[in-house]
Amino acid sequence: MARLRISPSCAFALPLRPRTQLPRWHSGRPSPVDQSFAPLRQFADSNASKPADGSSTDVLPSISEEAAAVAKATGRGGPDIEQGTPVQDVVKDDIEAQKHLPKVMLDELKAAKPTGSRSYSTSAFRREQLETTGSSDTGLESAVLDAVSAMGASSAKEMEAAGVKFGLPSLPLPPDANLHYRYHPVVQQVVGLLMRHGKKATAQRNVNLILAHLRTAPPPVFRADRPLAPGHPPPSHLPLNPVLYLTLAIDSAAPLMRIVQLRGAAGGGVSLPVPKPLNLRQRRRAAIRWIIDAAAKRRNHGSGKGMLAKRIAEEMIAVVEGRSSVWEKRNVLHKLGVSARANMSFSRTKRSMF
Amino acid sequence: MSTIVIPPGRCLRTLPRALRPSTAPFSTSTHRSLPAPAKKKTGTFAPPKRGERTLKLKKRDVVRETRPPAPGERKAVRKRIVLSNTNALEPAGLVDLTADMAGAEEVRGRVVGIPGEVVDALRVVEGFKVGQGWAFFRRPAALMRNEVVELAREMEGVEQARGADERAVGSGVRDLGGQTLRKLVYGERGTGKSVLLLQAMATAFLRGWVVISIPEARDLYLGQTEYAPLPNTSPVQYTQNEYTAKLLAQIAKANRPVLSKLKLTHAHNLPIKIKPGLTLDAFAELGVNDPEIAWPVFQALWTELTAPAAEADAEGKAVAVPRPQILLAIDNVAPILRPTQYKTLDADGKLRPIHPQDFVLVKHFLDYFRGARTLPQGGLVLAATSGNETVKSDALSVGIAMAEARVANPENKQLKLGDFWNLYKEMDMRSLEAVMDVEALKLEGLSKAEARAVIEYWAGNGMVRSRVEEGFVGEKWTLAGGGVVGELEKAVVRMRF
Repeated sequence: MARLRISPSCAFALPLRPRTQLPRWHSGRPSPVDQSFAPLRQFADSNASKPADGSSTDVLPSISEEAAAVAKATGRGGPDIEQGTPVQDVVKDDIEAQKHLPKVMLDELKAAKPTGSRSYSTSAFRREQLETTGSSDTGLESAVLDAVSAMGASSAKEMEAAGVKFGLPSLPLPPDANLHYRYHPVVQQVVGLLMRHGKKATAQRNVNLILAHLRTAPPPVFRADRPLAPGHPPPSHLPLNPVLYLTLAIDSAAPLMRIVQLRGAAGGGVSLPVPKPLNLRQRRRAAIRWIIDAAAKRRNHGSGKGMLAKRIAEEMIAVVEGRSSVWEKRNVLHKLGVSARANMSFSRTKRSMF
Repeated sequence: MSTIVIPPGRCLRTLPRALRPSTAPFSTSTHRSLPAPAKKKTGTFAPPKRGERTLKLKKRDVVRETRPPAPGERKAVRKRIVLSNTNALEPAGLVDLTADMAGAEEVRGRVVGIPGEVVDALRVVEGFKVGQGWAFFRRPAALMRNEVVELAREMEGVEQARGADERAVGSGVRDLGGQTLRKLVYGERGTGKSVLLLQAMATAFLRGWVVISIPEARDLYLGQTEYAPLPNTSPVQYTQNEYTAKLLAQIAKANRPVLSKLKLTHAHNLPIKIKPGLTLDAFAELGVNDPEIAWPVFQALWTELTAPAAEADAEGKAVAVPRPQILLAIDNVAPILRPTQYKTLDADGKLRPIHPQDFVLVKHFLDYFRGARTLPQGGLVLAATSGNETVKSDALSVGIAMAEARVANPENKQLKLGDFWNLYKEMDMRSLEAVMDVEALKLEGLSKAEARAVIEYWAGNGMVRSRVEEGFVGEKWTLAGGGVVGELEKAVVRMRF
C-alpha cells in the first residue's frame, strides 16, 4: 500500500488519495444507488501480487488499484475508497506539515474557498446519488449552446436495426421515460401540494404560470447572509431554467429536521422536543408548504386567474433573494433543533424502560 | 444578645426624613403618573341577556395596511402586454421584415422579426393579444407560414392592379378601379388566426397602407360602450361615439406616417369649423377630442381616404391624388353577426335586441366585408373568428360551411341555403347575407418544417432546453395536435402538462 510520510511531527502514515468532492447541489432526479461490497481475499485467491523475493510480507497494491481490480472482478462500481481522513483535513491546521506537501495539494489548499456556503452540509442528496447522476446534469450554458448548435443539424445518431421502424432507444432510458414519472419530481410535488379539492389540472396550470413568471422576471440578486443550496448556478442562469430556479428556492429553504414533541418525556407532564431528521421529499414538502403559506399573505396586484401563481412565484424569488419570511422560520426551527439535540437519545421505547 | 423589635410605624418614624416614603396615603391633587391601562374588553362571548332573543356579535374592523388599488389598476395589470423578455437570448440570424420581403419566396417558412416602428403601430391598433406568448422572447417575431406569404402576395397584387388602373385613368377619372379582397380567417383554437391578422397588418404598415382595425368585435356587441340614436334615421340607426372616438385615435396614431402627408381635399358639412389644408391625422384627432362629432369626422375621413377629389396640377390639368390602400381588420367577428346585447323598446312596447347592423360603425365595416361597397383604390377586408366560442353566431357557421362546400366542389356555383341551414333554428338573415359568399381561409396546424423553424427560433431565444432534432420536433408536433401553433408553444416553451 502506498504510504505518504508527511513530516516528523506527523507520526502516523496516511493513505494518499484525492480530496473528497463536496456534495454538489443539483436538481436532478435521484438514481438508484449502486452499492458494491469488497469481497474478502480468500485462501484460494491468486498470489500473483506476492513479491518475487519470497519474503513473507504480503505487499498490497494501492487502494485505488485494489478497488479497480474488485470492480473488474465484480463487474460493478467497486468498493468505496473514500473512507478515512483526507490528507488535506489532517494538514489543514498544521503549518509545519503544509511545508512538505506536494505543490498540487498546496495549490488546492490555497485556492479560494467558496464563500456563502454553510459550515455544515445541507445537501439533500447522498454522495452515491451525486456520483451516479452528477455527470448527467451539465451546466446551463452548455445545454443552451447544445440546443442552439443543434439547430439545422440533422439527427446525429442513425439507429440502424433490422425490423425496427423508428430506431432503437438509447439505453439507459431517461428518467422521465416512464409515464408516471414524466414530470420533474419537484414540479410534481409542487403540483400535488398546490392542488385543492382534487383539481389537478388547475394546480398544473398554476405551476405552469409560476414557471412562466420565473422565466420572465429579472434575475434574482443573491444575499451573502442567506446561503443558498451549495453549488447553485449564478443568478443570470436561473430565469432560463425555471425548474432549476424553483428547485433552488425550495431546496434552499428546506429545513433539515422537524421537532417531535414527546409527551411527558421530560417529566411532570412536560413534553420533550426531539429533533427528527427529514428525508429529501419531506424537506421539500415542508419548504413548499412554508412558501405557499407566505405567498397567501401577499397582496394581489392585479386581478384574474393568475394571481395565486404570481404571488407564489414572487415568494419563490423572495426566497432566493433572501427576503422571504421562510428563512426566519427555517432559522428558528434549526435553532430549536440545535438546542434540543441533547434529547436525540430519547425515544418512546427508552422511556418505557423507566 | 437581645433584639428589640420595633413596630413598623415607629420604625419608619425613626428613619431620617429624607429616607421616608414621600407619598401621602391620601391626596386630592391629580396623579402625575399615567393612569393605569384600561382593562381589556373581552369579546361578547357571553350569552344573550335575559329577554333578548338574538345573539349580537361585534364585527371586527378590517384594518387595511396598504392603499386599495386605484380604479382600473388591477385590470391594467391583467391586460398588460409585454413584448420583450430581457432574460431571453438574442436569436442569431434573425432578420427584420421589410415591405418587399413579405411576399418573397425566401422568407416562406422562416421566422422574421417585426421592426420596431411597426411594433409600435401594432401596439396602437391592439394587434398583440394578452394570451399570446410574446413575453417569453427577446423581441416580437413571427413565422412566415404559407398562408401569410400568399396573403402578402395578394396584397401586392392589389397594389399592382391599382397601379395599372391609375395609368389608365391618368386623365383624372375618379374611379380608380381598385380590387377589394374579402377574406374570413377561421380555424381551430390556437391555429394562429389573430397572429395572421397581425402579420397582415404589419405587412400593410410596411407597404404604406392605411390600417383600420377592430381588435375585438365583442366590444361592439356587449352593450358596454355607450350608444345613441342617430337623428333623422328611419329605421333608427345608432352611433357608438366613445368607441368611434377611440377608433379615430388609433387610426390617427398608428397611420401617422401616411396620414400626415395627405390633406383635406373635400368640403365637409361638420358641426365644427375646419381649418383648410388640415392633414388627415390632425383631422381625425378632432373627433378624438369630441366624441359627439366622432361619427361625422369618421365619415369625412373615410370620404377623404376613398374618394379623393381631382386636383389641378401645374398645367391646370386635373390629376387624381393617389390615396393609399386600406386594410380593414376585424378580430373575433362572431359577436357582430348575431343580435347584440343592446336593447330597445319596439312599437309593441317590448324590449328587443338591437341588430348589429343598426349600428352605423358596424354596418360600415360589414358593408365592405360582404361586398356591398368596394374600396375605389383597392384594399383588403380581413375578418377572423375566435377559437373561444363563448359568443356563437349561427350565421357565421352557415357561412363557413358554405365556403367549405365551395372549396370542395368549385363547379357547383349555386349552393342551396337550405342544405346548410338548420330549419329548426331561427336564422338572422341580415347577418347571414354578410357571410354567405365570403372567401374563407382555413388555418390548420403547421407543417413539420415550419414547426421546426419556429422551435429553432424558440431555442435561439434560450427557451428550449433540449436539442432540436427530428425526433423532438416530431414528438412535439404530434403532441400539438398536428402542429397547432398555440399548442406547440405550450408543449415546447411552457411546462408540458
